[in-house]
Amino acid sequence: MSLPRYLLQRLFHGALLLLGVTLLSFTLMVQFGPDTAFELAGKNTTEAQLEELRRSLGHDRPFLERYARWLGELARGDLGASDSNGEPVDRLIGRALPVTLALVLPGFLLGNVLGLLLGMLAAWYRQGAWDRLVLGGSVAGLSLSFLVVIIALQVLLCTPYGLDLFPTRGWRVDGIGSYLLYVTVPTLALVIVTLGYNTRFYRAVMVEELARDPVRTARAFGASGREVMFTHVLRNGAVPVLTRLLYSIPLVLVSGSLLLETYFGIPGVGKVAFDAITSGDQPVLLAVVTLTAVMFVAVQLLTDAACRLADPRYGAP
Amino acid sequence: MSGGALGTLWRSRGGRCGLVLLALLALAAALVTLMPASDAGGAQWAGASLEHWFGTNRLGQDILARALEGMATAFRVGGLVTLGAVALGAALGALGGWRPHSLPDEVLQWVMGVLDSIPVYLFAAALAFALGGGEAAIIAAMVLSFWTSTARLVRAEVARLRGRDFVLSARAIGLPAPLILGRHLLPNTAHILLVQATLTFVAAIKTEVILSFLGIGAVHGVSWGLMLAESTQDVLAGHFGNFLAASGMLFLLLLGLNLVADALQDAFDLREASR
Repeated sequence: MSLPRYLLQRLFHGALLLLGVTLLSFTLMVQFGPDTAFELAGKNTTEAQLEELRRSLGHDRPFLERYARWLGELARGDLGASDSNGEPVDRLIGRALPVTLALVLPGFLLGNVLGLLLGMLAAWYRQGAWDRLVLGGSVAGLSLSFLVVIIALQVLLCTPYGLDLFPTRGWRVDGIGSYLLYVTVPTLALVIVTLGYNTRFYRAVMVEELARDPVRTARAFGASGREVMFTHVLRNGAVPVLTRLLYSIPLVLVSGSLLLETYFGIPGVGKVAFDAITSGDQPVLLAVVTLTAVMFVAVQLLTDAACRLADPRYGAP
Repeated sequence: MSGGALGTLWRSRGGRCGLVLLALLALAAALVTLMPASDAGGAQWAGASLEHWFGTNRLGQDILARALEGMATAFRVGGLVTLGAVALGAALGALGGWRPHSLPDEVLQWVMGVLDSIPVYLFAAALAFALGGGEAAIIAAMVLSFWTSTARLVRAEVARLRGRDFVLSARAIGLPAPLILGRHLLPNTAHILLVQATLTFVAAIKTEVILSFLGIGAVHGVSWGLMLAESTQDVLAGHFGNFLAASGMLFLLLLGLNLVADALQDAFDLREASR
């Protein structure tokens, strides 16, 4: 398939995906959701005033018309304004996104690098003592709940019952020192909870690649362990590794940050989403869901491009 | 098949440990459901004793009794989600794999892509909006989020098997498609379904705990998520009973499931390497 045609097809699929996500979330939240006009109106409103408000908000229009109008605003880049304080949603998210990135990036990178190294170690000594140790540790890691890890780390590192080294919650960052102070505990939690999954995945990739003929030949010709691992195995395993790395970005940014930021009171995207959930702030929630889906589409395209660059065999029949 | 699977599990040390652990925990959950322990009546913040193994909480309730009730909740919610997600995934995956790239299959792929693009917490929140909270909303949200991974695997396996001789023969003698799918193809995916069931169970329990903690949707009865939510205040005041009981049992249950999943994957040679 020619490249332009291929790209066109990818874009078409991306557009269909966005249509599905927005239709589903709009249906659930707006069509079947609570009547926001009732809450906006405040107390002591007559039925006539409520009707008037609904008309001015456009809530009396048929569902498809409301959806189409919202979609039109979305296409022009207008995400609407928060129901709770009237702030434009794009400003709200624009302020929160850098915080979330700063919060989850170290843990994301560290979790993957450590997982890769441990996976390599286990695969190299497959069936040996190192392998069993790493696999056993990862089963224990898989059995830890994110919430439990967070609470345990908070007790051990942030309270007088433990080492009491870091602040228990919050995000008052104004330099590298305070950044390290606030980011360490969430980073540790993220690394601990993702390490089990990452290690097992990287080990599986490495075991598969190590069994291939070219690798066996290289080892037979006396290539060193480092040479085999980093030039032959890692390069040939680039496609699954890149795919996993890129596909986990939206999940870490939204799902990962939701619990971390809610628990530690950090004003990022996850906290914005959580506050919108508890207060029933439809425009904000719709925007978060839509932007997550946009991110998924972008990640798909990016993964494709990255895999093509990393591995010439990719996409070939 | 299931007898064979149990035998396979029993042969590996990890699988044996996992099965015994799960059996003990299930027994405890069943007992506490059949004869609920009285959890009231103690003094506030009583320490650990023979009478109250993990002490009592803020309201003087016995923490061990509540943790066991939480286990029953975890088994109920996890079981329902697993049943729903695996059944839905098997049925739709088989339909898609029967005629790959036909219109129904393309629609299925689209639906799966859409559902996979919505994080489960946000989906649960949206469904809780629509269904008015409650246990049904979070169970439905988890089923709708988790069935896609089973469906993808079953679809690939059915697409792989449909060119085999036994399927071609069945078609040649004129057996209707539903019969071939139900009698000849789906039983051949049983190993996938078994592994997916344990993995879905793990995901459901972990998600239920976090959803309950965040207060998105509510389950009936006591949940480990609620106990952990209470414990976040307790631990700052030096009371660790709630935290230790809930997180310890949660860990044991997940460990049992993961050991079983691991042994099954080893036995059936199923590892998600290059996906």
